[in-house]
Amino acid sequence: MLIVDDHPGFRAQARALLVAAGYEVVGEAADGESGVRVARDLVPDVVLLDIHLPDITGFEVVERVGGGPGRPVIVLISSRDASDYGRRIERSGARGFIGKADLSARTLAAVLGGAGP
Amino acid sequence: MTRRRWWLLALGIVLLGWILGGEWVSIHAHVPENHFIDALPGLSFLLAGIVALDQRPGNRIGWLMIAYVVVSYLGNWGNLQVPVAPAIGSSIGQQLGGAILAHIALSYPTGRLRTRFERAVIGIIYGVSSLTSLVILLAFDPRAAGCTRCAWEPAPFPSRTTVMTANLVAQRLDFILVLLFLAAVWLRWRRVTPAERRALAPLWVAVGVVCLVDLLGAFASPFPVRQPFAYLVWELQSVLYVSVPLIFLWGLLSARLARSAVGDLMIELDKPLPPGQLRACLARALGDPSLVVAYARDGLDGWVDADGQPRPLPEPGSGQQARTVTMVERDGQPLAALIHDPALDQRLVCAAAAAAGMMIANERLQAEVRAQLEEVRASRQRIVEAGDAERRRVERNIHDGAQQRMATLALSLAMLRDRVAGDPAIAACLDQAAAELKQAIAELRELARGIHPAILTEEGLPAAVEALADRSALPVRVHADFNERLPGPIEAIAYFVVAEALANVTKYAGASGAVVDLSRRNGTLRVEVTDDGIGGADAARGSGLRGLEDRVSAVRGSFRVENPPGGGARVRAEIPCDG
Repeated sequence: MLIVDDHPGFRAQARALLVAAGYEVVGEAADGESGVRVARDLVPDVVLLDIHLPDITGFEVVERVGGGPGRPVIVLISSRDASDYGRRIERSGARGFIGKADLSARTLAAVLGGAGP
Repeated sequence: MTRRRWWLLALGIVLLGWILGGEWVSIHAHVPENHFIDALPGLSFLLAGIVALDQRPGNRIGWLMIAYVVVSYLGNWGNLQVPVAPAIGSSIGQQLGGAILAHIALSYPTGRLRTRFERAVIGIIYGVSSLTSLVILLAFDPRAAGCTRCAWEPAPFPSRTTVMTANLVAQRLDFILVLLFLAAVWLRWRRVTPAERRALAPLWVAVGVVCLVDLLGAFASPFPVRQPFAYLVWELQSVLYVSVPLIFLWGLLSARLARSAVGDLMIELDKPLPPGQLRACLARALGDPSLVVAYARDGLDGWVDADGQPRPLPEPGSGQQARTVTMVERDGQPLAALIHDPALDQRLVCAAAAAAGMMIANERLQAEVRAQLEEVRASRQRIVEAGDAERRRVERNIHDGAQQRMATLALSLAMLRDRVAGDPAIAACLDQAAAELKQAIAELRELARGIHPAILTEEGLPAAVEALADRSALPVRVHADFNERLPGPIEAIAYFVVAEALANVTKYAGASGAVVDLSRRNGTLRVEVTDDGIGGADAARGSGLRGLEDRVSAVRGSFRVENPPGGGARVRAEIPCDG
């Protein structure tokens, strides 16, 4: 799993939570461009991707990394609510969305639909 | 030399060629007349026309004189041995000159016909002349013209009789037309004041000369061999004709006429003028349609027009479009600047400015008020836009700061909770903390949304309004006939109109539902929120609606709250959104 988020505190907590839940976290990135690069280099199964990044948006990262066979499954996260993005999340090609405060093994498994650790 | 002058010089040279070329053609066709004397009136009209165009730009008399030259010498070109030339020369060349001359006389000195009767008379004269021209053109018969050697293509319906009849009718009608023309001149004499009568002296002299020439026409002949006496009369006629354009020109340029223009101006200024009309009056009086009046700002640098819009003065000597600036001052303070054609008589400009002094001072005050109003409007718009930008910034800060930290905190609590599952007391305490935090996150999110909804930035107005409708306690239908993005401040204002209106409907209207309509037409965004409640909404009461009205009008939009008789209420805003 790859975590892309510009907030170091959140990345650390998310990594601990995912590792505790049995996921293998292979890398982290703090902005969109490096997220794209790391995702191409490491070819993770899942990318946990913040929508608001300092350089490009998470939606652009999805366009460049996700969607299609052999590509990582992408789960968007944000401290905003899904309704704040209208239908953009549906259209983006990501597997789903989780509010940052709601991130847990259970919510992640629900979005991934059985593709657990 | 200005570009305009070069053009006039070129026009003069071309028309000189037109006149002299026509005479040369006549000489080669062995027309037995005195070509020097025949050319004299044309040269005189040409000189007067070019000088009038140069000295009185915007006055049509110069152009009419030029038109007279072109038309009158068509007859000579009719001697050219090429198809159609004789027909055109004999038709247009001989029929239209008199009409143009009458037009010059009646429209003197401004070049404009003033009364309906004058326009009718000139219209009839042009109509009759054009009609006889056309008939002769279609039925031109060389034998009727006395030319047996000419080479041409026959007219569509060659008929000697038709041409002769047309000429005869034209001669008979000529008499009536001259009477009509004299009636118009007489009416004009009666209409104007004694001072103006004196100023119009050149007109009376010229009309007298033209009448004399016309009378002499009955006895004149350009062919010396056949009728020596008639030839002398023809010479006299030509010489008299030479004086006509020069008389008009003298009148156009004379100070007396200038004073009369200023007199006209004073009469016009006696009546109250609609805003902005002073410029038109001055332009008319000075004969310069391009004249601009710029007003000095009160205690500020810079100049504005009558609408209060900035109007910088031209830089001195700025290239081809050179303009002259004449300052109008009062007690040493600049009041206004007249920006005009450099060819205008400076004394005339100063006289007109003096005559319009009071009006200029008045209009300057109005322009100052308009300029200030415009500045207030612009600053209001800037304040609204700055407020909008500030809201975005605050929302962004909440998102990047507190919301992130709270989300991280929520994760920490969740992990902690997993680790202390064995201690029910601590677990319960952590559950309580997590629930509080969740509530705080939700409240903060709602607060951020109220400050500036992220979806508006992300997805635009229709999507943001849809989301608003989804969250509303009442069923709300949304119709939007566009999907593209609008300028940020416009989207924000429209969004908050809908948000406030829906909040009011939910709280006070007792409605069962509402409809939001968003449409965009002719550069205007229209937002309408209609409900089926008890009505009674009033923008003057609620501070929410009032604040919205202010924001909408700050971007030059309109805002209305209506309570139709059938019940319910309608909030409607129209906001310009620049295409």
